[in-house]
Amino acid sequence: MMTETANRSSRGTEAFVWGIVWVISYFGARMALEQMGEPQPDLGRILVALVPLLPFVAFLWKFISFMRAADELERRIQLEALAIAFPLAMVLLMVLALVQLATPLNPNDWSYRHVWPFLPIFWLGGQAIARRRYQ
Amino acid sequence: MRNQLRILRAQREWSQAELSERLGVSRQTVNAIETGRYDPSLPLAFHIAKLFEKKIEEIFEPDGSGNA
Repeated sequence: MMTETANRSSRGTEAFVWGIVWVISYFGARMALEQMGEPQPDLGRILVALVPLLPFVAFLWKFISFMRAADELERRIQLEALAIAFPLAMVLLMVLALVQLATPLNPNDWSYRHVWPFLPIFWLGGQAIARRRYQ
Repeated sequence: MRNQLRILRAQREWSQAELSERLGVSRQTVNAIETGRYDPSLPLAFHIAKLFEKKIEEIFEPDGSGNA
């Protein structure tokens, strides 16, 4: 019979694997869309853009499962990680919004595809900080 | 909060991994409690006390400041 610790570890590994699949599918979809030419209203292009949603949903499912099985310290670490990441994400978007009012931003440098990766980076950074605190 | 967890565990010659299995928490949690970096919840503290057949206050005690 699988112990609680092994069960937690297994769920964490599954979430991690799906997270990797999600990131790979994102870059795959991005490369495919870039090779398909300029953005235009085309169902095929939209479907390709939505492909990473599937592994993301699997990742989210596994992550929630992992969190439900997590012990109290892991839950606290995740809470502290979000407490760090969420305000950072807010301040990033606020600063970009204000800078955009101050001066035109080049969409080739600052668009959704450039900004969203900061959010998981903040989350992972928050986890690293919180984890270090309890080591 | 100070605690006697490391001493009690050593008396029983359990590893952190073994204790974590018995408590149903991660080894990281056991280590964080032993080093005083993390104060367990009341249910976990009760679980620890029951496992070592002691009262909670025999295992955990507040710091000198009196703050938990």
